[in-house]
Amino acid sequence: MSTSLATESLPASLLQPAFADPVLDAQRSFRAALKALAGPGVAQSLLATQTPPHLEGLAAASHALCLALLDIDTPLWLAPKFDTQAIRANLTFHCGCPIVSDRQNARFALLDDSQLHDLSGFDLGNDRYPDQSCTLLVQLPSLQGGTQLAWRGPGIESKNHVSLPLQEAFWQERESRNDFPRGIDVFFVAGSELLGLPRSTQVAFKPQTSKGAA
Amino acid sequence: MTATPASSTASDAKVTDHSARQHWIGVLARSRRAELLAHEAALRDAEYQLIRAPEIGMTLVRGRMGGSGAPFNIGEMTVTRCVVRLADGRTGFSYLAGRDKAHAELAALADAHLQGAQQAHWISDLIDPLARAQDVRRAQQQAETAATKVDFFTLVRGEN
Repeated sequence: MSTSLATESLPASLLQPAFADPVLDAQRSFRAALKALAGPGVAQSLLATQTPPHLEGLAAASHALCLALLDIDTPLWLAPKFDTQAIRANLTFHCGCPIVSDRQNARFALLDDSQLHDLSGFDLGNDRYPDQSCTLLVQLPSLQGGTQLAWRGPGIESKNHVSLPLQEAFWQERESRNDFPRGIDVFFVAGSELLGLPRSTQVAFKPQTSKGAA
Repeated sequence: MTATPASSTASDAKVTDHSARQHWIGVLARSRRAELLAHEAALRDAEYQLIRAPEIGMTLVRGRMGGSGAPFNIGEMTVTRCVVRLADGRTGFSYLAGRDKAHAELAALADAHLQGAQQAHWISDLIDPLARAQDVRRAQQQAETAATKVDFFTLVRGEN
């Protein structure tokens, strides 16, 4: 009898506490997410006191964003790296979000940097409801250290110089799927920092070869 | 895995565990606050953490006309839920009607304790007395209600 109880309670034993103050901490994280999208390229930090306890595999800010953004109406797609029992158990328990295996059905997706060369399948929204697109949460080792690129567009006064550690393939993928108003909004997350890249931001990623040729 | 019981036995045991747990969770949900508070010291006498601190919310209550008709929504009711985990990993859940957070925490603790080696002790000390008290209350209420019962009968109406 005790063995069958133990197997039954296996997922329950993976559960851990989430936000210390579920209402205010979720609101603070949501506010940080709003600011990140309103000012693309400017990193927002979450305080250690307002992030949830460490969940194996997730950065503090990814975990906080998941808890703040996901609920029963937002199917989540997990990259293989994040598709662990602990992450599944805790996100389903605290957020109640369905976890889907098909990218097309996801409203949010949690990715690591190994997935960024292929963004196919994610919902870009439609012309009438562009807001129904899939939002990507991309967890990176750092928000620094890549090639410096100039970001322009709404929310940026002239231009922001951002050096995310990303391959050019990501920028090409993003551009090929950007058909305004349809497109994909991205949050880049590292540690307790997050940075927003809405679909309206124009990023000059092309190497300066055209200028050299001209 | 020294012994490998036949699969039917294993699933039978699982079903029994499941319905036993349904029974005690139901008893805890119908218990009164004061009844659980009497056991507060024993229930809290273990290291535990709150996986989901007691929180108040709403749930939709549905019913079926006559118990067998099509489902319809009666309305929403307030519920309080809580999840705790004891230091040894046992996880207790509770869902209660009303807004009593302390009650929800104690009920979750009781569910966690009931899954352990001391199960028989907790059942005889906590669940059985609570179930008996609830049976008494229910029987009393049914008796009071039965006294007000009116049997309507229809005389032959002149329908033709």
